[in-house]
Amino acid sequence: MAASRPLQTVARSLAALALAVVAPVALGRELLLTGAKPDRLIVIDPATRSIQSTFHIPGANGSLFTIVPSPDGRIAYVLVNRMESIVGIDLKSGKSVFRADLSRPGERVKDFGGFAVTPDGKELLAYELPVLLKPNEYQVQEPRFSVFNTKAGLQAQPVRSFAAPRRVHMLLMRPSGRSFYALGFELYEYDLHSGKLLGQRGIQHWTLAAHSQPDMLAFWPVSEPTGVFVTPLYSEVTTGDNKVPRTGLMSLDLNSGALDFQDFEDSAALIFSTVLSPDRKRAFGVYSTLSEVDVEHHTLARRKPLDHTYYSVNISADGRELYIGGTMCDVGFYDTATLERTANLKLPDCPDQSLASLRVIQTR
Amino acid sequence: MSELKPTNRKAQLLLQAADAGHLAEVVAMDTVAGCSTTFDPGWEVDVFGGVASLCQPMEADLYGCSDPCWWPAQVPDTMSTYPDWDAGKPSGQNDWRELDAVFPKK
Repeated sequence: MAASRPLQTVARSLAALALAVVAPVALGRELLLTGAKPDRLIVIDPATRSIQSTFHIPGANGSLFTIVPSPDGRIAYVLVNRMESIVGIDLKSGKSVFRADLSRPGERVKDFGGFAVTPDGKELLAYELPVLLKPNEYQVQEPRFSVFNTKAGLQAQPVRSFAAPRRVHMLLMRPSGRSFYALGFELYEYDLHSGKLLGQRGIQHWTLAAHSQPDMLAFWPVSEPTGVFVTPLYSEVTTGDNKVPRTGLMSLDLNSGALDFQDFEDSAALIFSTVLSPDRKRAFGVYSTLSEVDVEHHTLARRKPLDHTYYSVNISADGRELYIGGTMCDVGFYDTATLERTANLKLPDCPDQSLASLRVIQTR
Repeated sequence: MSELKPTNRKAQLLLQAADAGHLAEVVAMDTVAGCSTTFDPGWEVDVFGGVASLCQPMEADLYGCSDPCWWPAQVPDTMSTYPDWDAGKPSGQNDWRELDAVFPKK
């Protein structure tokens, strides 16, 4: 923490100097976004299996996490600086156009991955975990949601804040822009403007018959291209005297609000993240294997080993190609029809992507 | 709690609080002090009791665990306590030999 404050100051002064190492983004096609240590936002052209641009984010302080593109695909917002800053990078120029440093003197604020942008691109919502740094103690403060104006520049301050539940790690904006989901131990829905809790549905307190309390690891806020967020979850199912670990999918339709849980196999492999195909008939998941789930019949369709562990998965808008990334320094391209690898792109100098999101944007 | 014996004044206060029904006032530290609230097995043993489902190779998981302070006992917490542990070493698979052990400051 002591090292991060000077870095924030330096970041502000250098913010306009974010470097575009390669050519700026050309508009009008599908592109991939990923992050890599220590400070790189990387734009990939899947059509040519090449890197379109590499931008160095000032004040990233060695770490990148969640990436949320603006709805028009022109700006990528990235959680950096050990989860204490959110920076918006213009994908055409590579310049920082937004920066919110969440911590302030005497108060350290972490955002454990959860932030979102409104459908009109005007506001950014962050989940904040504040703690007061007293001379001889840390005083834990109540978590909160803070809303920023995306036009606020490089020293953005919240325009409003309201109370939030604990243990939230993902925010998903609803297409209407009036409310958002906060995903954690439970699924909460809040009014974006008033901060009123509109609804709460059980995840840890789900009520599926014969199922134990589930376990879920959801840090990859991918809902493209369908508008449906899907994530694996694990529970123990009691059948007679037997208890069997089962893997299922949670799906949340951001438009309709429909929430569904469906088991699809006795747990045989870990899956970290999943994505739904455009036809909504299949879901694909990654970790050390690539899994295809038949969403209509709730079964495992296929599974193939991967050459190493990948945290994150995404899919092309036409559903023909899978993109897998995170962890190490390469992005894999897979044919959804065969689950065979069609290409592999290694990032220059082999920097780890770690927990950075892998996002697909449609440029205009 | 009956199997735990307080050995200092603070622990005795904790037991008194439990007897008085005040334990709900204890606020869990949620990613604030450099350590997460995660106690999953996973670095040494996978969820199936073996090692086949650990990250492959293990270097793939180094920064995925240190960046969010996932297993701070096994991998230094770069989120708060040791932010410079990985400085100048952006590639886990290439730089792992240069990652040092860490020790609490006195």
